[in-house]
Amino acid sequence: MGLRQPRRIALTLALIGLGVASLGALAFAQGSPFGVGPTSAPAPSGIGAWILAEQARFFRALSAAIREAKADGSAAYGLFWLSFLYGIFHAAGPGHGKAVISAYLLADGSTIPRGILLSALAALVQALTAIALVGIAAVLLGATARAMGEAVRILEIGAFGIIIVFGVLLAWRKGGAFLQALAVWRSGSVAHDQTHDHGHRHAHDHGHGHEQHVHDEHCGHSHGPEPAELAGRGWLKRGLIAAGAVGLRPCSGAILVLVFTLSQGIFLIGVASTFAMAAGTAITVAAIAVLAVGAKEVAVWLAAGRGGLGTVAFRGIELVGAFVVIALGVLLLSGLMASERMFPV
Amino acid sequence: MKFLAPVRIALFALAALGLASTAARAHPHVWVTLNSELVFGSDGTVAAVRHAWTFDEMFSAFATQGLDKDNDGKLSREELKELAEVNVTSLEEFNYFSAAKNAGKDVAFDKPKDYWLEADKDNVLTLHFTLPLKAKAEKGEFTIDVYDPTFFVDLSFADGTVVKLDGAPAGCAAEVKKPQSQGTAQTNLSESFFNSLSASSQFGSQFANRITLRCK
Repeated sequence: MGLRQPRRIALTLALIGLGVASLGALAFAQGSPFGVGPTSAPAPSGIGAWILAEQARFFRALSAAIREAKADGSAAYGLFWLSFLYGIFHAAGPGHGKAVISAYLLADGSTIPRGILLSALAALVQALTAIALVGIAAVLLGATARAMGEAVRILEIGAFGIIIVFGVLLAWRKGGAFLQALAVWRSGSVAHDQTHDHGHRHAHDHGHGHEQHVHDEHCGHSHGPEPAELAGRGWLKRGLIAAGAVGLRPCSGAILVLVFTLSQGIFLIGVASTFAMAAGTAITVAAIAVLAVGAKEVAVWLAAGRGGLGTVAFRGIELVGAFVVIALGVLLLSGLMASERMFPV
Repeated sequence: MKFLAPVRIALFALAALGLASTAARAHPHVWVTLNSELVFGSDGTVAAVRHAWTFDEMFSAFATQGLDKDNDGKLSREELKELAEVNVTSLEEFNYFSAAKNAGKDVAFDKPKDYWLEADKDNVLTLHFTLPLKAKAEKGEFTIDVYDPTFFVDLSFADGTVVKLDGAPAGCAAEVKKPQSQGTAQTNLSESFFNSLSASSQFGSQFANRITLRCK
């Protein structure tokens, strides 16, 4: 086949280059005010503004609910409920998690149950990170907010770095599969009538860039991509990496709640409240993930009747997803997409 | 055909990237109740703005975590010294959330002086700092808008706040105007309100707390 490594490299680099260049045009990154949550929030409008206002309202109410829970243990249930709602609204607004998860799901063998599973995992890991951070730093070590801020920064760099590397590896896999599908489709449409499709294309990636099986001579049946077949192996491993990387960056709201409950002497209630928040977050992220997977399935379905083109579309969407993962990682790491941040207090 | 597909993908990727970056917006995690004073020089013009900003209790608890070195449950000014330093240093990049105008021109501030943090009995923090004007103020209206254009910090005057004038000549009066929607901002940001903002308007300034000084 005419698919050489150099071409794949060139395509990969070109796209990364484009992404980076567009970033340059975007940008001014700011630090943080009191050493506080900073940066570029574009003017909210419409539903975005409403979500923003709801988040603020819930977050504000958390503070009072924690005080009540301190005075009266049974008020803790109110706090959990509020935390859960906050989780739902918070994930609908800012936060990188849902963007990275959705992009990943576009890029890799996604089905709706998988999307839900990964969203829930990411939210759970995120809650555990916040609890571990505050538990170790503040409870055990008596660290200052500044020390915790630095720890968050390190976790953040790690998480965003993993997202970028992961995205590049994903793009590499999917880029190969895409070019292969493209070549198969092109050779098919040149040699034969388009409606007469060359079905059995093993254009899936097996993780070996060199083994490109393209069985071109099984004429006679048209055969769109089957999710199970095209999903690619090892998605679970990759999915876990994606969920883990997303969850590695704790959410500021959870850290604030944990430290505040700690100062009130009800840390365990803060821990429970963090899990309640994670449950809410999981629901919203899962809903967005389902939309992403659904959109992809519709696109593939539309293209499916067109034989090889369906595979090309499928692989194309996956490749775009992989590049969005990279782009999000770069934006996050460079601080351009700081939708919230912990305070270098 | 050869180059079309990659180009298309690149365009899609860029579009998605654009979407993703505009989708990033946050709600404030920090609330500040403002108190401000205008300080006059011996020549009778405004020389500085003296701020006292009180943080919400959750942020206060976070910011002071681990700072009670002597474990007496109280935070002394000494224990908070370093934090105050970090606060005012970090605020510089944000122009102290204070945009002043004098006789129609922008006013620049010098680095803050006389800054310290104070904790009340519940360990709620108040940041005190004074912002001197770089150049001498002229006659004419003097206004300061206090707001965070990025909306990460919610700054507002408490109801009924009066801006004190320190050493003002007779005939001067300061008026405080809270943003129209401020009182309802938490509960009632209607879509039409936001849609009515023009694209070019600076969102945060809609929430500005404006101090206007007029001298006869």
